Amino acid sequence: MNNFNPLIHSFPYLLRGAGMTVLMAVTAAVPATILGVLLALLQVFGNRVLRAGVIAYLFLIRGIPLLVLLTFAYYLLPLTGIDLPPFWGVVLVIAFYYAAFMSEVFRAGILSLPQAQWDAARGLGMTRPLMLQIVILPQALRLAAPPYVSLCVSLVKATSLVSIVGLWELTMASREVVERTLAPFQVFIGAGAIYFCICYALALYGRHLERRVLHGH
Amino acid sequence: MAQRAMLEISSVSKSFGAAQVLSDVSLSVAPGEVVVVIGPSGSGKTTLLRCINLLEDYERGTIAVDGEPIGYRRQGNGRIRMSERGIAAARATIGIVFQSFNLFPHMTALQNITAAPMRVKGVPRARAEARARELLAMVGLSDKAAEYPVRLSGGQQQRVAIARALAMDPKIMLFDEVTSALDPELVGEVLGAMQQLAQGGMTMVVVTHEMSFARDIADRIVFIDGGVIVEQGKPDEILFSPRTDRVRAFLKRYNDRYRI
Amino acid sequence: MPFDPNFIARLIPALLEGAEVTVELALLTIAICLVWGLIVALAQATRGPMGWLAGAYIQIVRNTPLLIQMYLVYFGFSMGGFGLSGFASGLLALCMQNGGYVAEIYRGGLQSVSPRQYEAGRALGMRRWTLYTTVILPQVVARIIPPMTNQSISIIKDTSQVAAIAVMEIMKISEVWVETSANTYDVFLGAALIYLGLTSTASLAGRLCERWFAFAQ
Repeated sequence: MNNFNPLIHSFPYLLRGAGMTVLMAVTAAVPATILGVLLALLQVFGNRVLRAGVIAYLFLIRGIPLLVLLTFAYYLLPLTGIDLPPFWGVVLVIAFYYAAFMSEVFRAGILSLPQAQWDAARGLGMTRPLMLQIVILPQALRLAAPPYVSLCVSLVKATSLVSIVGLWELTMASREVVERTLAPFQVFIGAGAIYFCICYALALYGRHLERRVLHGH
Repeated sequence: MAQRAMLEISSVSKSFGAAQVLSDVSLSVAPGEVVVVIGPSGSGKTTLLRCINLLEDYERGTIAVDGEPIGYRRQGNGRIRMSERGIAAARATIGIVFQSFNLFPHMTALQNITAAPMRVKGVPRARAEARARELLAMVGLSDKAAEYPVRLSGGQQQRVAIARALAMDPKIMLFDEVTSALDPELVGEVLGAMQQLAQGGMTMVVVTHEMSFARDIADRIVFIDGGVIVEQGKPDEILFSPRTDRVRAFLKRYNDRYRI
Repeated sequence: MPFDPNFIARLIPALLEGAEVTVELALLTIAICLVWGLIVALAQATRGPMGWLAGAYIQIVRNTPLLIQMYLVYFGFSMGGFGLSGFASGLLALCMQNGGYVAEIYRGGLQSVSPRQYEAGRALGMRRWTLYTTVILPQVVARIIPPMTNQSISIIKDTSQVAAIAVMEIMKISEVWVETSANTYDVFLGAALIYLGLTSTASLAGRLCERWFAFAQ
């Protein structure tokens, strides 16, 4: 058990898995963020129907485990006739899931701006799209950046779940190696360490952003 | 005959739930006139100011700036609401400075001043920046153009806010208790800038409780209480020989406190 | 998409059995973490090696996926000869990770109590034990209820991951039923509804606690 050779020999393989993990995470984070901003705007500015729709969506997504959504998307999607490669299938599910959480973070950012900023922008004759573009969103997104980065860390960790539905990334790679080498302790610690490096780096960046937000520019 | 009023407030009424905040208020301001509005807190003076450029909505009445209606157009016996774009365009002709400065913290002083002219009126950057520097010089802050609001004192921020409002070439400037949030030693520089504006012939409506300033700058003082204009007239009349008891009581309380 | 009442009638009891396991796992985790998290938080507040260790522990469990921690415990222990059951491994991993999150929640709660409270208590002649038990901790408990409610919801959803180590909770049972019948849709609906029920209950319980403590304050 004190022999770390299995880990050392398979480390390059694990690193490739990490590459896929990062690829999945980034590919999911982009649509998640865009959808998150959209949902936040709909909730703040939309009419009653839109708002109710968004709230219902948030309730469903936040009450059901991601694994359940992934598993059933995996089984259900082929049935609906949509021919989607598995990679895109899971990436989209992860994106829709995290969009819900991101929208709450963005919404909090928008609502935390003092009314005075809205007044000043309106007083200068700005229309709502312009106001959002140059006054509200730049400030709201800066405020939301630290918790947003936290969600990104969570997203990276969530990619590990796709291994359960059979997709290949770092966790799946480490399971393969364990099956081959029968050294679960070393290999999973190695995989954990790789995840740690990615996530801790992101977390540190988030803390840096938090300090910037607190102390102005 | 007198020239067209720069600001015409006609029978404006606003209620907030069960409370009547403004009752059938009418006010006419001539071009170049400086009107100072005073009154106890809760009297409706700030609400009236905010109604002028529709930052607050009102149930009855219409308001027009230089003959152009803002917010509501008169139609027959009633009124119809203007489009959002129309309201935004009308707001661009009115400059407003707030109690809490409201500078955009993520922009420098210069950017704060050029943002609206460039993006709302389509002024090219070079011209917008030149004008912004002119205005900064006018309020005595030329050296602060590249500073962010967090590095400016309250008085400096307020002067930038004035420059920002002026950059839109408004026909009328509104001031909502702009010195109330300032440390006493910073008040003077802001009042100085406002005095300059008045001397330059800007039409101004100023809500304040700086009575000595009101006396210096106002062409007319309007006293509001309980959502109604109780009395209005020349500064010396209102401040030293008011006709109504309510005004007298208000001024007495003020004098007792500030010994002016 | 068939909606087969007979199928549903057989499905529900099976899912409810899984729900029992889910609830057991979740409640045990929450209970253990309330204690363990406090210990870690108090350890982190001390200076010296204990504080550093606690801090490192928190960072490690927060920046590695729960799934890797579960595999590490489950496969690592069985290779080492201990042979933990799926349930025990899952419980251990859940407590490991959520202990870190709960410790952070406690830390936030402790920090949010104004130093003036300590001053006031000491000025009245209270010694440390009394001060903490009668003044500080009640306030901390009230303040941590919202984040703890969120964490509990997260724990309930995380229990779905023990399906990967063959524990018969809701997710695993759903998986089995989907594979043995063609009725993906109904199984998904059933599982989703049960999870929604559980998370909504947790949410409600949290809000009731909040109200009760606001009263007692």
